[in-house]
Amino acid sequence: MRNFYLIKNGELIRKHDTLYFIAKKEPANSNEDFILEDDTIESFCELDDESTKPEYEKKALPIEQIDAIFLYGRISLTSGAIGLLAKKQIPTHIFSYYGQYLSTIYPKETLLSGDLHVKQALHYANSNERLYLAKLFVKGSAANILTNIRYYERQGREISPILSSIKERIDEIEHMSSINELMALEGNIRLLYYSTFDAIMPSEFSFKERTRRPPQNPMNAMISFGNSLVYGEIITALYHTQLDPTISFLHEPSERRFSLALDIAEIFKPLIVDRSIFKLVNKKMISADDFNQNIGSCLLNENGRRLFLEEYESRLQTTIKHRSLHRKVSYKRLMYLECIKIVKHLLGLKKYEPFEIWW
Amino acid sequence: MFVIVVYDINVDRVAKVCAYLRKYLYRVQNSVFEGEITKGQFARMKSGLKSIVVDDEDTVRIYILPHDNVVAIESIGKDISEFCQII
Repeated sequence: MRNFYLIKNGELIRKHDTLYFIAKKEPANSNEDFILEDDTIESFCELDDESTKPEYEKKALPIEQIDAIFLYGRISLTSGAIGLLAKKQIPTHIFSYYGQYLSTIYPKETLLSGDLHVKQALHYANSNERLYLAKLFVKGSAANILTNIRYYERQGREISPILSSIKERIDEIEHMSSINELMALEGNIRLLYYSTFDAIMPSEFSFKERTRRPPQNPMNAMISFGNSLVYGEIITALYHTQLDPTISFLHEPSERRFSLALDIAEIFKPLIVDRSIFKLVNKKMISADDFNQNIGSCLLNENGRRLFLEEYESRLQTTIKHRSLHRKVSYKRLMYLECIKIVKHLLGLKKYEPFEIWW
Repeated sequence: MFVIVVYDINVDRVAKVCAYLRKYLYRVQNSVFEGEITKGQFARMKSGLKSIVVDDEDTVRIYILPHDNVVAIESIGKDISEFCQII
């Protein structure tokens, strides 16, 4: 199962019970003949669609292989396409022109469990239970952050003092008595973490500080872009569980967002987003040309998005030997398994332990 | 597992087979599909194909490999492969 990322402008249609993406061809290959549809004269298409014009190309997305679709371009969906996505239970995440998460076309819920729903709400309402889970999310996230920078410490970067102060903060997590304190501590750890970036990364990608909405420099642009991808990924995973994505433990549940996805994303950001960025930058795979720098904002341009998505996607497909399942699982699958661990915790089957990088 | 599906189908049904296989695999040539697929999906795909194909007129051959990294693929000439996750 794979994600599809549509960064061009175009149209998603349903034909022959599968999805087709129709987009204008790039001028570079406009003189080539793109093989359009059938290997026969006969076609089942009743309606003329734009793809029959030579300047358009049409690509089939194998519907059975799609896990989720991420829309970055301006894309129109037909009701047929939306219906098919719903039938095949494929969430479609929509991002703004600036790459901000806007919405998800969330297919009809088929996995419902009243029992779990009640237990999830009760865990939220009981402050001890809520704090217990919230601490574990912060712990998991902090442990993964620590693994990331330990690697660079071993490489001889000057970050030992920050490393030890992060360790001190991690020891404090146990003693937090309220969610607000915990959130402050979490922010603190992340601030310390980000302050190591300038020592890890070459100077043309200097980070300075975390800026959002809009990001101010290339580093921030990549972090924002990557974080929104992980957020979408966790929403996809949550859709395939009985959990209610709006009842969260670390973040305050509020309107218009799937705050449980925010909780779980914290754990995976260091592993997936930050490591992708380190690789792209340190191996000089991405350069200043891959960003659109305007006054007051900095965003990945089309080529930059493509580079980032390629790296991100290959990371999602990376597999590790799972310790308790004794088989290989991909990073993408790990996110789903994380949701299942929460289900088990809420049902009282097995205490939740956050995912921590062990290799 | 990784499968390669090639077919010779009577012209009356060939578009149907093509459209059907598109749901599961990527089209790499006229009448050649390939892709990574699960056992469950493979079973469903096979039974779907059986309901379209007419036994004494059509043939479908499926090459089954354990994983895509056991096969080296080279191509000469223009690439018509649809495989692309980032469009």
